[in-house]
Amino acid sequence: MNEQVDQGHLRTPPGRLFRKYLYSIVALAFAALAINTGFDVWFSYREQKQLLAAIQREQAASAAIQIGQFIGQIENQIRWLSRLPPELSTNEDDRLNAIRLLRLSPAIAEIAELDAQGREQVRVSRRVADRVGSKADLSTSPAFRGANDSRAYYGPVYFFGDTEPFMTLATRGTGRQPNVVVAEVNLRFIWDLVAGIRVGNTGKAYVVDRTGVLIAHPDLWPALRRSDLTGHADVRAALDGVGPPSSGLVREDLSGQRVLSTYATVPLLGWLVFVELPLAEAYAPIYASIGRSTFLLVALLAIAVLVSLWLSRRMTVPIQLLTQGARRIGSGDLGLRLAIRTGDELEALGDQFNRMAAHLRDSYTTLEGKVIERTSELEKARDQALAEHDAAERARSLAVQANETKSRFLAVVSHELRTPLNGVMGVLQLLDDGSLGEVQRRHLATAAASGETLIALVDAILEYARLEASTEALETRDFRLDQLIEAAADLMRPQAFDKGLTFDLASDATVNISVHGDPVRLNRILLNLIGNAIKFTPRGGVALTAVAQQLDNHVLLHITVRDTGIGIAPDMHERIFEDFVQADDSIARRFGGTGLGLAIARRLTRLMRGELTVESTPGAGSMFTLEVPLGRAASGIAQGALPPPSRQLNVLLVDDDRVNCQVGEAILNRLGHHPTIARNGASAIKLARDQAFDVILMDLHMPDMDGVEAASRIGQLDLPKIPRIIAVTADISSSARERLAGAGIAKIVSKPILINALREALEDDPQDEPAAVQLAAGALIDLHFLDDQKELLGAAQIAKLHQLLEETSERLIDDIAKAAAIGDHKQLARFTHQLGSAAGTLGLVRLFERCREIELAAISMSPAECQSAADELAALQRASMRALDDLLAPAGAAAAT
Amino acid sequence: MIERSAPARAVPAVARRDFIRLAGATAAGWLALGATPDRMRLVATLTALPLDDELTKRSMTEAATTRLGGLIAGLRQRGWVEGVNFRFEIRSSFGGPDKLKTAVQELIDLKPDVILTGSTGETAAVLAATKTIPIVFATSNDPVGNGFVESLAHPGGNVTGFTSSTAEMGGKWLQLIKEAVPDMARVGVLFNPVSTPRAGRFFLDSLEQEAATSGVDVVLAPIGKAADIDGAIGRFSEPPKAAMISLVDSFLVVNRQAIVAATAKYRVPMIYPFHYFMDAGGLMSYGPTLEVRSADYVDLILRGTKAGDLPVQSPRKYELLINRTVARSLGLTIPFTLLARADEIRE
Repeated sequence: MNEQVDQGHLRTPPGRLFRKYLYSIVALAFAALAINTGFDVWFSYREQKQLLAAIQREQAASAAIQIGQFIGQIENQIRWLSRLPPELSTNEDDRLNAIRLLRLSPAIAEIAELDAQGREQVRVSRRVADRVGSKADLSTSPAFRGANDSRAYYGPVYFFGDTEPFMTLATRGTGRQPNVVVAEVNLRFIWDLVAGIRVGNTGKAYVVDRTGVLIAHPDLWPALRRSDLTGHADVRAALDGVGPPSSGLVREDLSGQRVLSTYATVPLLGWLVFVELPLAEAYAPIYASIGRSTFLLVALLAIAVLVSLWLSRRMTVPIQLLTQGARRIGSGDLGLRLAIRTGDELEALGDQFNRMAAHLRDSYTTLEGKVIERTSELEKARDQALAEHDAAERARSLAVQANETKSRFLAVVSHELRTPLNGVMGVLQLLDDGSLGEVQRRHLATAAASGETLIALVDAILEYARLEASTEALETRDFRLDQLIEAAADLMRPQAFDKGLTFDLASDATVNISVHGDPVRLNRILLNLIGNAIKFTPRGGVALTAVAQQLDNHVLLHITVRDTGIGIAPDMHERIFEDFVQADDSIARRFGGTGLGLAIARRLTRLMRGELTVESTPGAGSMFTLEVPLGRAASGIAQGALPPPSRQLNVLLVDDDRVNCQVGEAILNRLGHHPTIARNGASAIKLARDQAFDVILMDLHMPDMDGVEAASRIGQLDLPKIPRIIAVTADISSSARERLAGAGIAKIVSKPILINALREALEDDPQDEPAAVQLAAGALIDLHFLDDQKELLGAAQIAKLHQLLEETSERLIDDIAKAAAIGDHKQLARFTHQLGSAAGTLGLVRLFERCREIELAAISMSPAECQSAADELAALQRASMRALDDLLAPAGAAAAT
Repeated sequence: MIERSAPARAVPAVARRDFIRLAGATAAGWLALGATPDRMRLVATLTALPLDDELTKRSMTEAATTRLGGLIAGLRQRGWVEGVNFRFEIRSSFGGPDKLKTAVQELIDLKPDVILTGSTGETAAVLAATKTIPIVFATSNDPVGNGFVESLAHPGGNVTGFTSSTAEMGGKWLQLIKEAVPDMARVGVLFNPVSTPRAGRFFLDSLEQEAATSGVDVVLAPIGKAADIDGAIGRFSEPPKAAMISLVDSFLVVNRQAIVAATAKYRVPMIYPFHYFMDAGGLMSYGPTLEVRSADYVDLILRGTKAGDLPVQSPRKYELLINRTVARSLGLTIPFTLLARADEIRE
């Protein structure tokens, strides 16, 4: 996990550190430059503005001075005229002087010279004819009075002819009788002056008189319109004596353009000279400065970015090299050498990396050697173990083979022995023709007894062999447990009494029940145990106890057989259950026997999922304990109440014997069915034709025709539904069975009719699948075998086999059904064999056994038998697979959790 | 005045390609200086002078010795280049009412952007024909009295222009000619009642007043056609000693050569209101200096200013021109007062 985390960390984008450095340096440079530029621009902007305003004020002041000089010059000129000595001032001379002055000063439109009393002496004009000596009294004119009051008079601006700005200028001469010279000045000549004032490139200056009327403008014509500018706030303020703001005033000029404006006052006249510069031009240097600064900023920033790139790369490349190196070392490339030549700590770090990698490589080489060594040792050990395992496996298979050979040998031998023995026994019975003497008869009896013993021995060996070959199958049905135990006790009691032994039977009340199991095998076990007890007990007695324990879904039968016999040594307690073993050879010699009894008993016990154990002390007797689980009987026979049938059947009972008919009818009524009686074969056929019967109980021996023939005829009736025919007979020989099977009769109920047997026969409808389904799992599957297989193969393999079996068996059942349908015996046998083999793999014993039986019988089976066999196999397969599913499913679920 | 860069001088027609290139370059140059290139403007002028008169010739030189030359030069200084962004059309009334109507109609039909008129008669005719096309009159002695404008400062309507000599100038001319001819007993006043302001009365009041003051008889010499000139002047060659005054009258300007020739022929001293007469060999003239600002106004009008918002301009300067040779040939001695006053003395 750590490795993964580290690897994941290393996979981060290699440029992260680089970008971090880059951004930091750029940000720093940018901040420094931007702040510097910002302050620079701000201060320069302020300074520029101040400077501009100052320059403009200077320009305004300069313009004001120029205008003042212009007027002052005219004033000087007329003053010169007024101060001419009287001797030079005859009227004509005065006129000439005035004409000269007009020539000198184009702005003067008219000059009048008044004497001290205000009488006009000379008037010289450019437009009007000159007048000399008119003596007109102008003493009350403002010009005369103004000139007398002070040195010079500056009249207000007036407009001549509506458009021409004029002003009156008057000066007074010196002396006792000073003349007064009055001049009318055309102010349009200021226009030349004003137009000549340069304010930047596009700025301008204009002049406003004391009343706010525009008197001079570079465009001339606005001044000719007597424009009154008092409406303009700045003009108003200026006229009111408010000084211009130091940084200039921004306002809109006559044409609506935004301008920087300031003004100055013309001395003496009180006119205002406004100087206006369009903002666009005024601030152009400022904007240019800002532009330069911005360009510089961008340029410097670009340089900063380049420098940052270079610096960052210089710093990050060795680190990236280190990172890559570390990653490659981490991924096992120890031969890597980092080449960092920065001449600083990073190079030192790189060297350390290289040293570390070198150390790691050395360590790794050592480690690898050791690993190779260990690996080869392990391989050797493994090979050895495998060889041993193979040997063991060979030995085991040899043993198994030997065991099988033994079993086969035993089976063959037993069978082959039995045939001559039967002959011997038959001959022995024929010998006693009543002519034999007493001695001869005793010898014959001895020979017969020996023969019987021999036959019993051979039978035991045969049974053992069958068990060994696992061909023995349980044949289960319902039976009375108490009756079985009592019958066994009754059978053995005489032998005990013959030996002078006591025989006690202590059956608990709990055994008074019906159970489902294999009564024959159970009986055989009991007889064996009791027989052994009697056999090995010279004196004393044998005691039998039986208890049935009701458990959840079954009954646990608990039987003990106790004796007071010779006992068994502890080391022999288990061995006595092995094959051909008796407590010791001397015992065998004393008591005889094959030594197979207990082995068979235990095997049968195990076959029934039970346990057979012994407790014994030599000389003090033995106690054998049998514990067998048994199924509950389907019907509560013990309780005396019969369960109602799964469905009510119409049953035709065919029997020629009146008593049998009555008994049969009573039983059928009791079982809840609806009986009809036929007293012979012919009437049975007639009834079957007329009425619909579910089941026909057919007696085989009847006077008119036997049951087989009757059944055949009924089968040929072409009924919509052929009734199920159950034979009722005392003859259950195999030849009889074959005959019955040929007539389509698969079921036989033995005479006399037992109610349970009949009930089972009736209920065991092959069409009623639930009957098969109800088979206990235990009966269908060899749990021990399955457990062993599970242990051996593992759950996964079992699940796989299960799956395979499911598929294979389904397919085989289909094949079997087809083969049965066309009556192909060979194919039927083959598929049945395959199904059996498949079923055997997971311990589906019932299916396996049935397959074997049908496989063997297939060649001689009638089509009907084939059909029923196929149906039976199908039902059995379904039941078995369901049981197997149930068994394996929980395990599978448990494994999954 | 704001100085503008000197315009590229138009080259004589060489190759068409050169011209186009030059025109393109010039146009671009004027564009840069704020010339309005959007469409070709049309400036029209109506004059009383015949089109072969040297005063109607468009002098392309800088010396604005004629009103028209001054206009073209002034417009060029302001970004208007003839043939590039404006076209110039000139029509003449030939000093008489018969051709006036046709000329006016021709001009109106051109749909010009502005019409310049030469004198009062043409102005009145154009003004009668259109109330929308801006009109700039070059001279008008009494625009208010003629009803051209509401006031000089605020003309209103679609007309503005320039005034010439004021009414008082009548007396002034008499005084000046009296100084040159001190022994004159009568003064002959030459004018065409049709083309003189108020049929001559405009100036005659001040003239008669001055005549009374200086003891001179006023003899009116109204003429209606060029053929009358010789007779009208010839009458003043006999005693009592006479001098003449030529009033402001486009008819007289048109016939200036004939008038000057007649005065020489009959040895009659005459004072004129314009220097054009001096160029034709007149004795002396006194009148407003040719300070043509019509280019200013045409420029403003072409750029969208309403003509009625532009004040009518009055003359600022007056100039006295004396031809001493002519004076001598007439046996006149120019006194100091005149010499001191004269702006130009031609020999």
